[in-house]
Amino acid sequence: MEQNYDQQYNNVDDEEEITQEDAWTVISAYFEEYGLVRQQIDSFDQFIDNTMQETVDEFGHIEIRPESQHYPALQPDFAETIYKISFSQVYVGKPLMTEADGETRTLFPKAARLRNLTYSAPLYVDISKRAIKKGHDGEEVAETQDFAKVFIGKVPIMLHSKYCILFQSSEKDLTELEECPYDQGGYFIVSGSEKVLIAQERLSTNHVYVFKKTQPNKYAYVAEARSTAESQNRPPRTMFVSMLSGTSAKGGCSGQYIRATLPYIRAEIPIAIVFRALGFVADKHILQWICYDLADTQMMELLRPSLEEAFVIQNQQVALEYIGKRGATVGFTKEKRINYARNILQKEMLPHVGVEENCEAKKAYYFGYIIHRLLLCALGRRAEDDRDHYGNKRIDLAGPLFGGLFRMLFRKLTKNLRGHAQKCVNKGKDFNLQFAIKANIITNGFKYSLSTGNWGQANAAGTRTGVSQVLNRLTYASTLSHLRRLNSPIRREGKLAKPRQLHNSQWGMVCPAETPEGQACGLMKNLALMVYITVGSSADLILQLLQDFGIDEISSADISQATKIFVNGRWVGIHHRPDMLVSTLRGLRRQVDVNIEVGVVRDIRLKELRIYTDYGRCSRPLFIVKNQRLLIKKKDIQTLQQRETPDDGGWHHLDLVIARLNPDESYSDTYTHCEIHPSLILGVCASIIPFPDHNQSPRNTYQSAMGKQAMGIYATNFQFRMDTLAYVLYYPQKPLVTTRAMEHLHFRQLPAGINAIVAIACYSGYNQEDSVIMNQSSIDRGFFRSVLFRSYRDEEKKSGTLVKEDFGCPDRANTLGMSHGSYDKLDNDGLALPGTRVGGDDVIIGKTKPIAQDEAGGQSSRNTRCDLSTSLRHSETGVVDQVMLTTNAYGLRFVKVRVRSVRIPQIGDKFSSRHGQKGTVGMTYTQEDMPWTVEGITPDIIVNPHAIPSRMTIGQLIECIMGKVSAHMGKEGDATPFTDVTVDHISRALHKCGYQMRGFETMYNGHTGRRLPAMIFLGPTYYQRLKHMVDDKIHSRGRGPAQILSRQPTEGRSRAGGLRFGEMERDCMIAHGAASFLKERLFDQSDAYRVHVCEHCGLIAIANLGKKTFECRGCKNKLDVVQVHIPYACKLLFQELMSMAIAPRMLTKDV
Amino acid sequence: METATYQRFPKVKIRELKDDYVKFELKQTDASMANALRRVMIAEVPTIAIDLVEIEVNSSVLNDEFIAHRLGLIPLTSERAMSMRFSRDCDACDGDGQCEFCSVEFHLRAKCIGDQTLDVTSKDLYSSDHTVVPVDFSDSGAGFENAEDQRGITIVKLRKGQELRLRAIARKGIGKDHAKWSPAATVTFMYEPEIHINEEMMETLSLEEKTSVVESSPTKVFALNPHTQQVEVVDPEAYTYDDEVLKKVEAMGKPGLIEIYAKEDSFIFTVESTGAIKASQLVINAIDVLKQKLDAVRLLEDTVEADDQFGELGAHMRGG
Repeated sequence: MEQNYDQQYNNVDDEEEITQEDAWTVISAYFEEYGLVRQQIDSFDQFIDNTMQETVDEFGHIEIRPESQHYPALQPDFAETIYKISFSQVYVGKPLMTEADGETRTLFPKAARLRNLTYSAPLYVDISKRAIKKGHDGEEVAETQDFAKVFIGKVPIMLHSKYCILFQSSEKDLTELEECPYDQGGYFIVSGSEKVLIAQERLSTNHVYVFKKTQPNKYAYVAEARSTAESQNRPPRTMFVSMLSGTSAKGGCSGQYIRATLPYIRAEIPIAIVFRALGFVADKHILQWICYDLADTQMMELLRPSLEEAFVIQNQQVALEYIGKRGATVGFTKEKRINYARNILQKEMLPHVGVEENCEAKKAYYFGYIIHRLLLCALGRRAEDDRDHYGNKRIDLAGPLFGGLFRMLFRKLTKNLRGHAQKCVNKGKDFNLQFAIKANIITNGFKYSLSTGNWGQANAAGTRTGVSQVLNRLTYASTLSHLRRLNSPIRREGKLAKPRQLHNSQWGMVCPAETPEGQACGLMKNLALMVYITVGSSADLILQLLQDFGIDEISSADISQATKIFVNGRWVGIHHRPDMLVSTLRGLRRQVDVNIEVGVVRDIRLKELRIYTDYGRCSRPLFIVKNQRLLIKKKDIQTLQQRETPDDGGWHHLDLVIARLNPDESYSDTYTHCEIHPSLILGVCASIIPFPDHNQSPRNTYQSAMGKQAMGIYATNFQFRMDTLAYVLYYPQKPLVTTRAMEHLHFRQLPAGINAIVAIACYSGYNQEDSVIMNQSSIDRGFFRSVLFRSYRDEEKKSGTLVKEDFGCPDRANTLGMSHGSYDKLDNDGLALPGTRVGGDDVIIGKTKPIAQDEAGGQSSRNTRCDLSTSLRHSETGVVDQVMLTTNAYGLRFVKVRVRSVRIPQIGDKFSSRHGQKGTVGMTYTQEDMPWTVEGITPDIIVNPHAIPSRMTIGQLIECIMGKVSAHMGKEGDATPFTDVTVDHISRALHKCGYQMRGFETMYNGHTGRRLPAMIFLGPTYYQRLKHMVDDKIHSRGRGPAQILSRQPTEGRSRAGGLRFGEMERDCMIAHGAASFLKERLFDQSDAYRVHVCEHCGLIAIANLGKKTFECRGCKNKLDVVQVHIPYACKLLFQELMSMAIAPRMLTKDV
Repeated sequence: METATYQRFPKVKIRELKDDYVKFELKQTDASMANALRRVMIAEVPTIAIDLVEIEVNSSVLNDEFIAHRLGLIPLTSERAMSMRFSRDCDACDGDGQCEFCSVEFHLRAKCIGDQTLDVTSKDLYSSDHTVVPVDFSDSGAGFENAEDQRGITIVKLRKGQELRLRAIARKGIGKDHAKWSPAATVTFMYEPEIHINEEMMETLSLEEKTSVVESSPTKVFALNPHTQQVEVVDPEAYTYDDEVLKKVEAMGKPGLIEIYAKEDSFIFTVESTGAIKASQLVINAIDVLKQKLDAVRLLEDTVEADDQFGELGAHMRGG
């Protein structure tokens, strides 16, 4: 096979090399096949296809024995009846929903979104129930009942996954279903809201990490092995092996003992004792197990204290007891203790090596290996391990997350089933299986976690929060970026910088620019464009293969010469020709005989060969380099271009490797791989930036954050959607200056910005401090005009059986608690008509609820209904765009009203270029006031030159001149990073177009007509309109509502709140001596109140101002009562204190 | 009366005249005059544009405001505009803006019945006044030979079953209020450049250097005479004051080889119209408007009302 392989390559050798352009063909083919959210979808498919079945197989066996209870009246026919329930085949249906009237039909994503339903598919399982009846005479009768396809719950289905209706739909079908053909799926719809599962990063298990402790510390070095068995989904068991510092903290010299920490064992155990407990008693064996090479005196010397320490314990029994004594074995007999220790060693120590009996040898070897690694580090032969290395990271996507949740829910279901059955069986009765299965456990469990983001059971400890988030639909790019987000769930507060820093090994895996600023900086990451995350496959095939290739059993004599072979962190054997093994494995993988996901890593220095098949590894495609030449040839590109069968052609040449790569030029003969294109290290948002390689790096980070706030067209079906908030730009344009990656991000089809003519100039001074001057005439012509859609929803809720809310126009004559807003806009059905202009507090959904007459006993009975209408936000205006009336899952009437309002750019609105250069409009000038060029061009936007030098966004300047060339030639400019385009090239092209080569133009002052003394840098630059607009923020208040409790003004714009006159403002006024003003602000304008106080006791007295009577009952005082002005909050405090039996007295006279 | 008079008599020389394009020289005046003319052409020459839209049926993909905005931007033939009244000071309709003196009514009815998308264009707008109609570019020649291109300005595209029915009222207005009333597509002027080549110095240059001088200008201002091998100014007006040649000459160590000045009293205007009125008419109207403004200032020079009517300008006039 090996030979065939080489021959094939030799034939290809004389063929033409590929060019940079050809690399893009490969990239296009990759994206065409994989799309942008492949990781999410594959991971979910893996869950449905395998994980679910595996879970059911693992936990789906229940045995119920009657717990003997005595029922005097009952005399059973049989002595004992044992029930065995086993779940077998799992089936998943198509997504469907059951209407309130019992009708079941397939559910389409659009309907789920609009009607606030959950896009989920039913789950069925074949169950067999076996009743074994033991007669009084010991005779057994077995009865088996099979239930096919029992409904056990509903699983939310990921859009565009294998079980989704939209799976592999054509563009036309998608359009007919009123879906956006550019929508990539990869999210769920739960109660109408789109939810993404954020990928969770974690440290990989079954791996030895050696760390050097910073002194002074008890330990000098610590080796850590977090271990989980492949089939188990239990939290990892951690084992520590630590080498003590030579000098203890107290100053005494204790020797460099090496000790291990075992799970459930309180104390550290000297390593030699662990070996002896495993059955390896002789010192020589122990040394061999650790050092491999007995000639290595340095290492042997380090082990001396450890061996001496365990000198007193010289056999297995004693060693086991030593361990057992240190576990939770109070009051155990010696035998029990030994057994306990044995159990710990078998089940809890390094479970990934094996939990069966007789793996002591393997465990001892692995344990020895851990110590070996520790010693290597202690001897300085190897550096300590890097916790932040990306090769040591695993990423949990929707699949594993769902897997964990399903496991929990399924166990809960079986537990519930068992509980129910046990009750029946105890009574000697049979039970109804269909009845005993509570399908709601799974249905609601998934729904709960997805809608709250709390991964795990409600109010249980150890749940992760924020795993599921509402999909961001502001811009198409923000949606994509959200679907490729990565989260490291580590302590946000920790000021430890290391995990936040960009690590070398993240090259190509994680976008270097796209991360938020502030608390989550560096912890929230985004996948680079070409990353694929493995879904995992069984290691059995690899083990079988290795068996066939003839790997040797581990034997201590050979280890030092041979290469250790690890499969998923498990030491499976040794081999003497690792180079051959590696190339064979890679060859097989490249021919897809072995799953292409399998990772083969050879560590030559450590003499290790690590093979991985687990899930959650980051991988990315690279070209293969053979004999300093790329393996992929022009021929392959051509087949790719004429692609009839998309998965044919150069695909298997694309190798998916974990964190391994090499640059283009093969100046070394040891290269194995070649980068496809370096611009692919960027993520979704950073790929939109033109010339990011010419910007200061934080600017790219800022733009990556701002690109998500830009308005554009977020989905082509926005007319059919009822998002709570959506912005759509009137005339979006594809950028003149583009990057190659945009093609795959569909940025041209769904753009978010306009190619504005931008001048960088000081003009009239209205663009200082990051503000811009905008051309009012351009605005009149539709420049950056946008529309905002806001949806309001309501439903007719039911409380009890009789009381039901009703949509309808409330009648002032009989309705209680109607708001001050206008009800005139409502139609007879209680809903505003489309096309109605609404504003202020106008009511748009009228709803009332009957008041039970007996309830309202005291009140006048003219009010029979209570108002529950929804009114527009008081600061907004708009036109009713669309009204949707339907029923929800419970058959209740349900309405969504969408209001649209056109937003015209005005002073205070926020705009930004694609280089982290944001600014607000400081002034709008009409065309005649704008500066103009000889050609009569007036800029749309004038930005201040001071925004450039300190920020060093050279990319923007290059974008501008390239934009000018592109506009002139009628072509798109290529601004992909790391290409050989230079400013000089562009300048020369611009010169040829008849412009000053650096993009400067002579301009004339629009006010005076005089020539401006300096030439102005002018050209088209792609600008974005950001969602922050003054109209949504403007706020002032003269008087207004107060809080009920404290009677102080409310807070926040949405409640027409006051502006806080805070401590520092107060300090100013005190310093200023403006005491009366201060009193007015803090008291009269806030919560002024007066109380009547008894002069004798200082407590609040009863006052009837109408009758002019005053009384303090406690003091029997009706005369000496004074009026006191205090803040209401103060009065409240006094009353609260009184309720705590503290008497706050207000003494008005000197005591 | 021997006080010196500063009155000047500006001269206009028309270079090129087309329906939608004029190029002329304005001489013997200063930048303030030229700029005033430019500003008036852009912002103060009245035209007619759709200002009010009543939508009866709209089942298209664009919302009502969107369509109204697009309708507003359609240029309408506005020869009548100068003689029309602003609806705000129309006596006939009390500023209602619905009478024949100040408004023109339009109707649009379109429904897509066929399977093909229907383009609703400015040609579907029916005017109540035949003098005020959407500008038609089809007869103005170049580029519109194709029958498909003659469909006017697209307002919206309709799919099968979609319908658009509306009534629109066009009114007189000026570009200052909204850009839709601006009759000018482009109005620009430049100072006429004066280019001097120091022939003596030029003789010292090699042919190569001469070509590099010629080529240093992005626009074709200079050329190398193929016969005499001399650098000649072929088109001084192509010069954009980009200083490229001057910098080049400086870099060659020959400052003063070429000198360029801007004439302070000579301007070359380029005017392009949107089609609402003819470009020539635009210039004439602009001069009329400018005159009216000056008259208004003169008449009200000393009155207090001037303050009210002209605000700051009035106060300025009196004070200065």
